[in-house]
Amino acid sequence: MNEERIAKLRGKIAKLDSISTAPAILQPLLAIMRQPVDEIALEKVVELVSRDGGIAAQCLRVANSPLFARRAVETVRAAVMTLGIERVRSVLFGLCMNGTIPADKWVLDRNAFWRHSLGCALVTQTMASKIGYPEPEKAYLAGLLHDIGFLVISILDHEKFLECLRSAADRRCPLDLMENEVLGYTHEDAGSVLCEHWGFSNELVEAATCHHRLEMMATPGPLVCMVHLGDLLCRVRGLSYGYTEVMAVSFSQEGAWRQLVKAYPALEDVDFFRFTLDMDSAMDQIAALVDSVFGPGRAAGAASA
Amino acid sequence: MAVEAAKPKLADAAGANSVAGTRDPAHLKIRDLVYRISGIYHSEQKMYLLVSSCSRRMSECGIATPSEYLDRLTTGANRDAELKQLLNEITIGETYMFRHPAQLDALSTVILPQIMKNKTALGLKRLRFWSAGCSTGEEPYTLAIFLNEEKQLAGWNFEILATDLNTRSLEASKAGIYGEYALRNIAEPLRRKYFKEASNNKLEVNDLLRSRVRFDRVNLSDDSKMVFLKGIDVIFCCNVLIYFDLASKKRVVQHFFTNLLPGGYFFLGHAESLYQVDDTFRLVHFPGTTAYWKAPPGAAAAGGGKA
Repeated sequence: MNEERIAKLRGKIAKLDSISTAPAILQPLLAIMRQPVDEIALEKVVELVSRDGGIAAQCLRVANSPLFARRAVETVRAAVMTLGIERVRSVLFGLCMNGTIPADKWVLDRNAFWRHSLGCALVTQTMASKIGYPEPEKAYLAGLLHDIGFLVISILDHEKFLECLRSAADRRCPLDLMENEVLGYTHEDAGSVLCEHWGFSNELVEAATCHHRLEMMATPGPLVCMVHLGDLLCRVRGLSYGYTEVMAVSFSQEGAWRQLVKAYPALEDVDFFRFTLDMDSAMDQIAALVDSVFGPGRAAGAASA
Repeated sequence: MAVEAAKPKLADAAGANSVAGTRDPAHLKIRDLVYRISGIYHSEQKMYLLVSSCSRRMSECGIATPSEYLDRLTTGANRDAELKQLLNEITIGETYMFRHPAQLDALSTVILPQIMKNKTALGLKRLRFWSAGCSTGEEPYTLAIFLNEEKQLAGWNFEILATDLNTRSLEASKAGIYGEYALRNIAEPLRRKYFKEASNNKLEVNDLLRSRVRFDRVNLSDDSKMVFLKGIDVIFCCNVLIYFDLASKKRVVQHFFTNLLPGGYFFLGHAESLYQVDDTFRLVHFPGTTAYWKAPPGAAAAGGGKA
């Protein structure tokens, strides 16, 4: 991807009204997302959720779903406490983005997209905690955002992206391979520009930009390495984009793994088989969460801010 | 594939324990014990299976609480025997053909092409598979049907060796008569091609299918026999090693490593791992399944990288 193309993409994204002038709560939400979880005041999140009646109702519904509810949750504050700030902000983010993208513009299956994004977020965060990475919630965010470029492409190059998905599913190959062939740029490029545009830190931008091409970086940071591994694990454990790729991964041989072990030797002690099965369970829960927030297969986004 | 984990229908209240925090800590300790001893791991989503296996053993033994049962498994006089009973309970349930399509998909898309490429370079057109612990034959016959249908194998010879320690199982395998349960995943055209009518609405494998599998009695702990099994490309050994103690398990797995050709693969049961048993094999993730790989010297990644 050359500089000229990136510049063009920047121009297009800046002009994309639906994304740059997103729902009213997106900007304050992004501000909350840029902050470490333990520095976020609960009241601030409660206030944000309460601003939008539709979103508040959704949060209550999720908090009362069998997945979380121990007892009836009646207030937004109780809902936020039940779900946890981290989950609330990713649910809000999902609702916001769904509200931004017209139903007929989705190319990937909407729920599949959020399952993969939330799944990768959780795997990345769990891995981060296991190996002693100091900011697991940043890892969560990196996982959540890593594929956000797909949404940009769905809007900017709708028809061609449909073609990408169709050919990738036929060939059972990774989507970015087809993006390069058909579009000449990938969701990594688009995600990179959008994350920059939103003011996320370099590390997070890096994770969105290079999770499929670590070899482009002289010294990939731990965050992009973890996202790379998290993304792979999701794809081999069923959280992919509606088709099964042909793939064989030996995690311990991945460049990202080797790079990560240098900084976090504890990674070598992780029983990766057990980790995989534990993540299967977590992914099941995520799938349930996504369906309970967005509704199974419902076409239209829920946010209406 | 041989004997699989108990099926969900056996669970008394599937999902009743799905909310974390309501679980008896003794069950988690039993989970870890089972994992350490057998290599079978129950993730959160599969815990209900372990809970129901324990319940059945507990009522059999007249034990009221999971923590008492844990004591029986760890400090009881007959703890080894009880553990074996529990493992039987965990792996109970008949198996059926084509139970793990993800394994076959991995074979078809990555493993066979990779092995065939290596062999073609050596001028060879022959593949050897081994179902070690074939139980009543579902696994080797599944493999035989699958391989026979693989178009990429046109012009190749393949051989399937199926072994078990239990002579009764071997006899049932050779008889090759199966009911609807074992055949549930086999579509009509394949039934017509590989089976013939038997009594009681059952089907019997036909000569074509039978000719594809060679049965033999092998004790995996019998070193003198194990050293003669050579040149294998893929081994399946599902829920067999779980009954071995660590030292014997290590010895069997070392044999498997030698039995396999460089670049060969080894499949275990799908919740079963070699963690702390072996570090010569390389764990490889395929969509929906995992396998162990005997990486040829100097190899980078399985299948030449992802995708």
